[in-house]
Amino acid sequence: MTVITDALCPFCGCLCDDLTIVVENNKITDIKNACKLGSAKIMGHHRIEAPMMRADKKSEFKEVSYDEAINEAASILFKSKRPLMYGWASAVCEVHKKGILLAEEVGAIIDNTATVCHAPSTLAVHEKGLPTATLGQVKNRSDVVVFWGSNPVHAHPRHMGRYSVFAKGFFQEKGRKGRKVIVVDVRKTETASMADEFVQVQQGSDYLVISALRAILSGHADVVPESVGGVTKEQLSKLVDTLKAAKFGAVFFGMGLTQSISRYKNIDNAISLITELNAYTKYVITPMRGHYNVTGFGQVCSWETGFATAVDFARGAPYYNPGETAANDVLMRKETDAAMIIAGDAGAHFPADSVRHLARIPVVQIDPYWNPTTEVSNVVIPVAICGVEVEGTAYRMDGVSMRMRKMIEPTLPTDVEILEKITQRVRELRGE
Amino acid sequence: MQTVTLKPKKEIKISVEGENISADIFSGKTEKEIHALVAWMGNQKTTIGELFSVKVEGSGPAADTKIILEGDFSRVKRIGEGMTAGLILITGNVDMHLGAKMSGGKISVKGNVDSWAGREMKGGELIIEGNAAYYLGAGYRGESCGMRGGKITVMGNALDFVGEHMCGGEIIVKGNTGILPGLSNNGGKIVIGGNTSRPGSEMSKGTIIVNGKVEEMMPVFKLEGDEIVDGVTYKKYTGDVIGNGKGLLYVK
Amino acid sequence: MELLIKNGAVVDPVNGNKGDKTDISIKDGKIVKTVSSKATIIDAGGRLVMAGGVDAHSHIAGAKVNVGRMMRPEDSRSGISPRTKITRPCTGYTVPNVYAMGYRYAQMGYTTVFEAAQAIMKARHTHEELEEIPIIDKGALTLFGSNWPTMDFVREKDMDKLAAYVSWGLLASRGFGVKCVNPGGGEMWGFGKNVTGIDDVVPGFDVTPKEIIVSLMKVNEMLGLPHSVHLHCNNLGNPGNYKTTLASMELANQVKASKKRQVMHVTHLLFNSWGGTNWGDFESKADEVANFLNNHKNVTGDMGQMIFGSATTMTADGPKQYANAKLLHAKWSNGDVELEDASGVVPIYYVKQISVHAIMWAIGLELALLTKDPYQMLLTTDHPNGGPFVNYSEVIALLMSNKKRQEEIKTVHEAVHAKNKLPGLDRELDFSEIAIMTRAGTAKVLGLLDTKGHLGVGADADISIYDIKPDQIDPTVEHAKIKSAFSSAAYTIKGGNVVVKDGQITATPLGRTYWVDAKVPQQHHDEMMKDIVKKFKNYYSMQLANYMVQDEYLTHQQVVKAGIIPAEVN
Repeated sequence: MTVITDALCPFCGCLCDDLTIVVENNKITDIKNACKLGSAKIMGHHRIEAPMMRADKKSEFKEVSYDEAINEAASILFKSKRPLMYGWASAVCEVHKKGILLAEEVGAIIDNTATVCHAPSTLAVHEKGLPTATLGQVKNRSDVVVFWGSNPVHAHPRHMGRYSVFAKGFFQEKGRKGRKVIVVDVRKTETASMADEFVQVQQGSDYLVISALRAILSGHADVVPESVGGVTKEQLSKLVDTLKAAKFGAVFFGMGLTQSISRYKNIDNAISLITELNAYTKYVITPMRGHYNVTGFGQVCSWETGFATAVDFARGAPYYNPGETAANDVLMRKETDAAMIIAGDAGAHFPADSVRHLARIPVVQIDPYWNPTTEVSNVVIPVAICGVEVEGTAYRMDGVSMRMRKMIEPTLPTDVEILEKITQRVRELRGE
Repeated sequence: MQTVTLKPKKEIKISVEGENISADIFSGKTEKEIHALVAWMGNQKTTIGELFSVKVEGSGPAADTKIILEGDFSRVKRIGEGMTAGLILITGNVDMHLGAKMSGGKISVKGNVDSWAGREMKGGELIIEGNAAYYLGAGYRGESCGMRGGKITVMGNALDFVGEHMCGGEIIVKGNTGILPGLSNNGGKIVIGGNTSRPGSEMSKGTIIVNGKVEEMMPVFKLEGDEIVDGVTYKKYTGDVIGNGKGLLYVK
Repeated sequence: MELLIKNGAVVDPVNGNKGDKTDISIKDGKIVKTVSSKATIIDAGGRLVMAGGVDAHSHIAGAKVNVGRMMRPEDSRSGISPRTKITRPCTGYTVPNVYAMGYRYAQMGYTTVFEAAQAIMKARHTHEELEEIPIIDKGALTLFGSNWPTMDFVREKDMDKLAAYVSWGLLASRGFGVKCVNPGGGEMWGFGKNVTGIDDVVPGFDVTPKEIIVSLMKVNEMLGLPHSVHLHCNNLGNPGNYKTTLASMELANQVKASKKRQVMHVTHLLFNSWGGTNWGDFESKADEVANFLNNHKNVTGDMGQMIFGSATTMTADGPKQYANAKLLHAKWSNGDVELEDASGVVPIYYVKQISVHAIMWAIGLELALLTKDPYQMLLTTDHPNGGPFVNYSEVIALLMSNKKRQEEIKTVHEAVHAKNKLPGLDRELDFSEIAIMTRAGTAKVLGLLDTKGHLGVGADADISIYDIKPDQIDPTVEHAKIKSAFSSAAYTIKGGNVVVKDGQITATPLGRTYWVDAKVPQQHHDEMMKDIVKKFKNYYSMQLANYMVQDEYLTHQQVVKAGIIPAEVN
């Protein structure tokens, strides 16, 4: 029996690093400190056991050797005029580096799962920057915490305990009692139920509400109508007073803000609100990132290509323009003529038109798990699970990186090994 | 006078980068020379001659060069990019970035244009008889200035973010626009014939005139009263008040 | 592998060479006395040969550099070049991608560059990027100036524990030296506040910036670290700050150097040599600062020269960056790190006709021209704060030619005539002085002069050859040629490999990462760790076990030993 302490959780952007894992005979028998979501992820489900291929999407899969699957994957990418390489969020940074190199070599678009969650936040950062801080700064100092369009009780179960609401810190010894918790959302979520204040915004009106708050904050309450986005001016004014009274305020936003009307402009506007609040007191804002290493892909892609995601290598040099170069942009236009989907599930999370197009083109899937993407794939290459069977780097939602531990020995090859072999094979096909 | 006519040889599915289709580049060139110009299609480096039939009549400087694009150019991007003079006539639809960074000359489109038409335009004229998609006359991501000069006219509708970060020039949309036209307007003029929503957010300078209905007003404008512009009475607003903006918003 | 560089006009101030024709022999990556007849010969043909450039202060890797990239796609889209058979694609001007960082430094003839600031907690990120910067040797300075353990041990006046913390912090971050940015101010920015001078008390910790600076200098010398404390002064970027700068530099007299080098390096002095009380009466005090240096050999500085055009300011000085963003109405990123420091990133565009910018530009040049000993004033642009490093050749040309300066002065705001001494300065630096400011001096300040910054036997075979024949050029007149030559080396040799020829990358070996392993007595370490364990238990948001940078992030490490206990006693 082996006991691994201080292990990292490969589930959400909280990247909790205090797990204790008990291993017997290369099997995980007990997990301590993890939330239910994290435990379930670590325990695993629906593994793909062997590489599989099929000639067309209607046929049954046939088991093949890794070499056969790798050769076919390389051939598909090599032949493609508009390849897409999508996913990456459930893999460590070492995988991202190999993926970006392969994308360069085959002239692909490389995009990650942020495209369906927090990529709008990145677009907002282009406009306004991001005044943020590590989560420990929130734990030690915050006395006002706002969850806007985010529901940690449901999606980030340990966030409030470890970092934001209940956590006690140096300047915040009381924890929950020392904090005012505000939830802004379109419906009364589980998080809203335990907040000190709930501000209910009409669906799609976040942008207007944020602008109204900024107008009041800047001393222009006179132009704000009596009700904005379903919130009364009185409540908005009171909210501004509460926000200003903080010694240290933190805003955590989620997909309620990134994926509603005005999308990234909501974040853009919220960042301006935070910037302006800093004229009065200290405020920071942090996106509630979903997958445990979706942040990491953005980091690696930025330092390697200059751009955070949705990078088009068609012409050998990075070109970036979400709206044009993101996965769904090219899928919806039916431009993509081949796709590799790795450590992400396009089949489950993409709009129907995109998935329909995936069903029409050659698709290579690299993943430990059987999921809806498998259903539209031609070549399926199972791999070891990053963060459970493979160590490597991951970035927490606040940009702090840590090294994920190997809990058990893998029985399948790693993503890195597969990508290296595909790259090698592509070079052979090119005659190098 | 030089006239160059391009027609796609077959249906284009993967977008072609057409930054070499401009009067500045075509002027003075023979058919053979135009044939040899690079045009990327996906990750394939190909040529204009491979993709389009090319007919050249006469020869002349850019200002005397007319390009006629016949057939379906709805998958050809960046036409007229950086153009300084001359004329492009497009008989159908075109893809993204039409006339991006152009500083002179004229592009006229019978059909629709995709997003970023007139991106970072400095001068010249774009006339679009159909509809425009997103980011008409806007900027590149992260830049503080979109369109700086010139004129864009859309006879149909446009989608969201018309004239984002505009620093100069004029955009006229005869129909409706999507949300947030004139966002961060810093000195351009936008005239919307139809309806829109949330105009003028974060504008610091410039003018937006809405002749149709404003579905949702941004709560950041000060009503100054009525004003007559070109014989029409509008409600005149100033803002965005948050940044003490000096923008003018006229709503009928 | 052997290499022989013949017929070079070698400028090597450390070894007293001022341009004499000297052959340089190279074997196994080092400069040796002689090589065999099998050696590959490079005929320099009378052209200028110098040691590879060494940069002691540049922001090339880590969290805030990447924040710069993420918030500035408009910058990344400039400077784009596609992949080649040898090179990866390049992007960016002020915030280049990792590949461009390495290639562009090498193309200028630089072979060693130090990242100027990393928080320990984010050091893993710094090393991930350093690992991917090709060609050059590199390292990173670690922030200590607002760290809670630092302030606690300073308050307790426990220098043994502080030394143990610095030693452990360097190990945890695989850092090369002690960086101190706006000491105390980083902590106060946690609540949106700042210190106003070196005598303010930091709330919650009861220490002053002065005490932090002096204590860090003391332990730096106790540990015998190769580099001195590297200080970014309080009040940076505020008119009138030269007084704070002078008062900070004065503190150097309280500590004796453990090595033949300064006890304090004050960085990007351009931003710290400001007179006046506001932007209206803003003026240069470069003369006062240079005068101090001329009379105090225990302090060194670097220019932080400004380059007109686009720049991205990035620093651990969080409060300064918020003030900048407000002043410029620019986008603003902030990146506080719990218990450690702050940081901010703000784009800027320096304009010749803006009086403040013109005065700043002149201040940097004044610092270099008024400081008599070039070993005390290194050439930097505080990349990318003053401007991108690719402009070093412009700075070199300005320093070597008064003619160029006068031409330039005609194009900038007239305020420089009233507010700066630059128009009247006629000093023109020679090749030796440039070699000191870019090689010998930077290596000496970093404490790496044994192997870097010169061409004597035993030095690393890091060499640049420029397309200039020193005996046939008058740099004071032909400044355009000087600029062109220094922007693109004829050859850059890194560790004995030709990595650049005629300005083009020819090979991309991975350089080494320098860090300092400084030992302290075990009991000091153990005592110190009791405090650290408590801080992790109560205040950090991560586990101590996951904090330190692992070996996996340093595949080519160069460990420099230091410490209170000599290595042999260990």
